[in-house]
Amino acid sequence: MEIQSLYTLSDEEYVIQRAKIALTVDPVAAKAWMITAKTLYPNNFGVQFEAYRIEKTAGHLKEAAKCFSDLIGKFHQHPEFWNEINKVTSALRIDSDLDPEKQFLSKMFKHISPEIQHKLLLITADHCEDTMEHCKLLLLLLQKFHSAIPSHAPALIDTLLSAEKHSHASNHPINNYRKILVCELLPLLNEETTTVELSSKLVYKLLHKAIEYYVHSLNFHNNNGQGIANAELSWDKLCSVLEFTARQLGWDPYLTTFGQNWTKEGYWQKLLTFCQSQCMNMDDTNNIRQLLYCLTVFFLQCLHDYKLSLAPEPCPGQPQTSYFLIEAFVDPTYPSPIIEPKSKRRKLDHETSSPQITVDKPELRSIVNNFLMTVKCWELLNSTEALQRGQLDDALNYIKQKQDQYSPLKRNLRAASIQYLKKNYYASYNHIRSVIEILPTSNNGHLSNCLITGGTQRHLHFLPLTKLGILQMCTKLLVRSILEKAEGNYADLAIGNILVLSQLDWPQEEERLPSLLKQIQQRGAFQYYLFQTYVVNVDILEELTFLWTHQVVLDVVPHLGPRRIGTRGADKGVKEEIRQAIKTQVCRSNDALDQLIISFITKERESILQALM
Amino acid sequence: MSVQETKITLRKIEFPACAKEALSRISQLICRRGPSLSQMDLALDLMAEFVFCEIDKRGNKLSPLNPIKELQLLDVLFEYFNGNIKEVFKNTVFLSLFSGTTATLRSRILSKLISIAIGVPSKSVLISASALMQQVGDSSMNYNKLAEAIVKDYFVLIPNATQRLSGLPDCAPQFVANFLTAVGEIYYNDKKGDVQFPPRSLLETVVLWVTANSKLCIAAQQNPSALPSGTIVMESTTSIAGLFKWCILAPIYKQDCELYAKLHLGLLNNILDIPQGYQPKAINHVHLAVPIRYIYKYAASLVRKKDEAEKNRYLLEDANLQLSLDRYAQAVQVALSVNCVYGNVGELLNQVSQLPQNKLWSIVIAANQPNK
Repeated sequence: MEIQSLYTLSDEEYVIQRAKIALTVDPVAAKAWMITAKTLYPNNFGVQFEAYRIEKTAGHLKEAAKCFSDLIGKFHQHPEFWNEINKVTSALRIDSDLDPEKQFLSKMFKHISPEIQHKLLLITADHCEDTMEHCKLLLLLLQKFHSAIPSHAPALIDTLLSAEKHSHASNHPINNYRKILVCELLPLLNEETTTVELSSKLVYKLLHKAIEYYVHSLNFHNNNGQGIANAELSWDKLCSVLEFTARQLGWDPYLTTFGQNWTKEGYWQKLLTFCQSQCMNMDDTNNIRQLLYCLTVFFLQCLHDYKLSLAPEPCPGQPQTSYFLIEAFVDPTYPSPIIEPKSKRRKLDHETSSPQITVDKPELRSIVNNFLMTVKCWELLNSTEALQRGQLDDALNYIKQKQDQYSPLKRNLRAASIQYLKKNYYASYNHIRSVIEILPTSNNGHLSNCLITGGTQRHLHFLPLTKLGILQMCTKLLVRSILEKAEGNYADLAIGNILVLSQLDWPQEEERLPSLLKQIQQRGAFQYYLFQTYVVNVDILEELTFLWTHQVVLDVVPHLGPRRIGTRGADKGVKEEIRQAIKTQVCRSNDALDQLIISFITKERESILQALM
Repeated sequence: MSVQETKITLRKIEFPACAKEALSRISQLICRRGPSLSQMDLALDLMAEFVFCEIDKRGNKLSPLNPIKELQLLDVLFEYFNGNIKEVFKNTVFLSLFSGTTATLRSRILSKLISIAIGVPSKSVLISASALMQQVGDSSMNYNKLAEAIVKDYFVLIPNATQRLSGLPDCAPQFVANFLTAVGEIYYNDKKGDVQFPPRSLLETVVLWVTANSKLCIAAQQNPSALPSGTIVMESTTSIAGLFKWCILAPIYKQDCELYAKLHLGLLNNILDIPQGYQPKAINHVHLAVPIRYIYKYAASLVRKKDEAEKNRYLLEDANLQLSLDRYAQAVQVALSVNCVYGNVGELLNQVSQLPQNKLWSIVIAANQPNK
């Protein structure tokens, strides 16, 4: 008989074996055997662990949890069980693991009583040789058991700080220790009402670490266009670090209350109010510090939001377009810009000299608003001498330095614009050529109507970084370069080049045509050998044909050139050929203008430079 | 008001209004600190004449109430015990109505009242019933009769009571605990002749209750009833030993329903949930020893007329006997491990060591030797 064959086993083995045999035929009886075994051998690890394994294999959450709880008090030194403990804690940290064992262990953990959970995490953390693991486990402990915060949080802070110092990552504020400290631990400390005993020096240090982390994360984002750290930057968390600091240092909660109804505009007003109310006692370092830190964090948030809004989420299926602030153009002959009544009032109030900032689409106004708020913060930060003191300079200088981390496209575009403004047209053209070489290929975009405004205010524009957007900007820069270089006295080459470039933005550029045509007419001749390659606009061709039929010599077909002088007005063959040339150009009027302009700017370097010299 | 005046006043009122009035007089008489003998007597008289209508005004015995009057009386009683009265007063009245010399006479009304209370369910009435069951004790015939009446009403007459009664332990845990002790006693008991087995629906219900409420078996001990001051409080017996007896004896009576294994496991879990650190009081060693006699009898019948040398093999190879012994040994082992057996544990171990051979029993006995 099967059972009797077990009689030779030892007592422990017999009872366990009976449970195992029963498991397949009668799970209920198996449990009864298991309970018996556990009460018979409370101090036998083999029996207790086997009981746990049987429950685990059978997938009984509650029972396995109970066995596990029994084991942890007595047997956590046992290597076999220690291994199991590690499996549980590692399962806890991976929420979406498909491994059924880990899923089971993670669920089982929830059935363990809180005291045992606490004990489990503490034991594991204490035994952990890897510092990172140790920190993660302690963090898990604190997250699950807020009551452990006063006793364990200061030690965890110390560990994280010194681990960061001694790890390879010490020079990089973006490291995992810092991330745990800033993004997990400090916000957690703020959530809790139980106080943690920390020296004020340490509290400042933690705040600095937090701000530093955010500053670097911002630039990280800058570097790669779309940074990974970006998604993890939660301003709520930095605000909660600030709240925590305020509570620890006994600051006035006026500036450090970030409730549900918090708005940027509202907070800005608060900052101003605080500034005004405190301006009498700016020597009170506590107040200055308060203002400094709050304003810094707010500034960073505005800056971050501004950067985010520069590359808004695209509609599904559309390529993402980022925007780039450039110096755009002002033409007093244009109608004055329509300003929204609200901002108009404000502008008239105190900032008549401030530039006007345009975007292509009304829904992108948020870029402008974010930009303006950021600028306001920056100005306030720089307005008070007292505020300029201190650690902030480091952070801000850093941001300035990082400007050379722009992509080559942005850098060249910026340089082209600056050189144009400095009237270094030659240099500007070279940058434009660099830009044209690396135009985005996947994002075509549209031509803008906002690059030029009327009035006399400085005009800034958020340029969409699309192929057409950039090309339009470059073309405009080049047209203006040529125009300004010529100072009203145009050579044929300059006129020709302007005609070619104007085609892209037709009919916006149409108004320039009459004055150019007038010059040609006065001269009675127009020589431009690039005509057949680049002039395809019907309006321009029509005007030129009109001039030609009114006694103006068109020297636009290179091989006819030398003969033209001798046979002026008489050679029918030549006339026919010019007519034919014009006709051919008219037929090309549907050519892709962007390609045409691109090849003009890249291939006709000599002709363009000649007009710029 | 004199005794006579009270009675004359009450006699002017018709039944069942007089029963209602009498109940309130009775509670005034006995719910006080140390009622006098004459007050007690009056209360008893009022019960007999105006509540249960057992005697007329001259003290002559009357025939039992007709069904309609009985129903009216139940209505009055149910309303009274559901009324807004302190629990201890309710229990006092309940005990004096249904215990003592007249208990047998009134048991029919009592069982009907409790049946109604289970069906409604009425926590208030069941708490008083639980106090009564605890005080009269599990060995009393009336107590068993009451349990039998409830079983008949709910598990024999009604086919699917399990679902309906599943929530009863939440409503009145002490009552259910005492009820379980009573039914544990009734079945698998040969004192009255043939051994009776619990109806399947009762078994189902018991398994459901015990499995879902791991503290149910000790509920009555954990929450003793509120009793009038001066009462000698009887410790209620838990159902653990009685119900274990079912599980242990079921195999040898060829009751191979799988519910017994579940009940067995449920009871083991109940034992594990008994709070430790107190004087053991959950299981009496005498109660736990009850199955021994039955097992002996079965084993003897098994080996009757068998060769002496072969006897042991028969006993070892009889799966029913071994299952019975395994369950028994498990029950005793788990109970001893949480220290909830009171009485003479050594005597118990001594007795079980005489049982037919079983590996688990030898392990359990060895493990629980006092010198170990």
